[in-house]
Amino acid sequence: MTRRVVVPACTAAAPRVKASAREREPMRRFTVGDTFEWVREVDPYRPVYYAGASGDYNPIHIDQVVGRAAGYDGVILQGMCTFSWLTDACVSYLGDPTSLKRLRARFTKPVQVGDVIRFQGRCVAVDGPRIRLEIEATNQAGEEVLKGAVADAVAAEARS
Amino acid sequence: MSVDRRHLGRRYGPYRFEAGRESILDFAAATGGRVPGRVFQNAPPAASPPPHLAGGDGAGPLLAPPSYAAVFAIQPFATACADPEIGLNVLRLVHGEQAFEFHEPVRAGDTLVTTGTITRAQERGNLDFLEVTTETVNQHGRLVVRGVWTAIVRN
Repeated sequence: MTRRVVVPACTAAAPRVKASAREREPMRRFTVGDTFEWVREVDPYRPVYYAGASGDYNPIHIDQVVGRAAGYDGVILQGMCTFSWLTDACVSYLGDPTSLKRLRARFTKPVQVGDVIRFQGRCVAVDGPRIRLEIEATNQAGEEVLKGAVADAVAAEARS
Repeated sequence: MSVDRRHLGRRYGPYRFEAGRESILDFAAATGGRVPGRVFQNAPPAASPPPHLAGGDGAGPLLAPPSYAAVFAIQPFATACADPEIGLNVLRLVHGEQAFEFHEPVRAGDTLVTTGTITRAQERGNLDFLEVTTETVNQHGRLVVRGVWTAIVRN
């Protein structure tokens, strides 16, 4: 099955979040080949909002002058914001946030204001309660902003 | 200047962090395409809890999303990257890799203590790699998250 959650960037009105039905299902089934998708847009205020919420006020994320001096078009998004989106993409598929046990990725391209990042995940292994996901994250030009993104989870109903 | 292997094993912390309900909600808003804070937002957070915060359990203090580790566990890495003893050029530094191992979930009201150790300090080509491994424990002494944070500096 494929599930899509698209959350538009928004500063003026609260976007609608399409909550998946899976979160309310008492039993969840995970099957190799399942896919999921999660889309985030980097609106101009996102790096500042993330700075405030995370405490990462590195000027490269909030000051265009510093961003340009470092060789970018302007500010770049905090890598950990992208990583948080990756986490949320996995949780959107898993349903239970506590089932996520491991997550890793390499940052391969800076994410900038105006980018639209598409996370496309796939369930690649299911062994009893153990689930492995692989996720690709690309920008609107199709360039990978993360590589080697892999998540390991343990399905909730199988835990003690 | 290249990173020196003698810094291997250098430790940072412990850093204490109180996981507040508003902090968790602000983080969920900032990463959820919404507006954090209690002023310029269009709806109170409680009116539109992000699906990953709901977590299927309505009982007990607010459950933080796993990604919240980016807030409470980053300090040893951030401090190492700016440590004058190590002397990385922060203008040429990027966050290169990240890994988390999630153990005990975090709830609003938890007290989290994070320590970090430099576990890799290596020059490869014209790149320097600095890896900091962090461990966070909660007020019950239980391991919450282990993080591996890697900075890459282009020389």
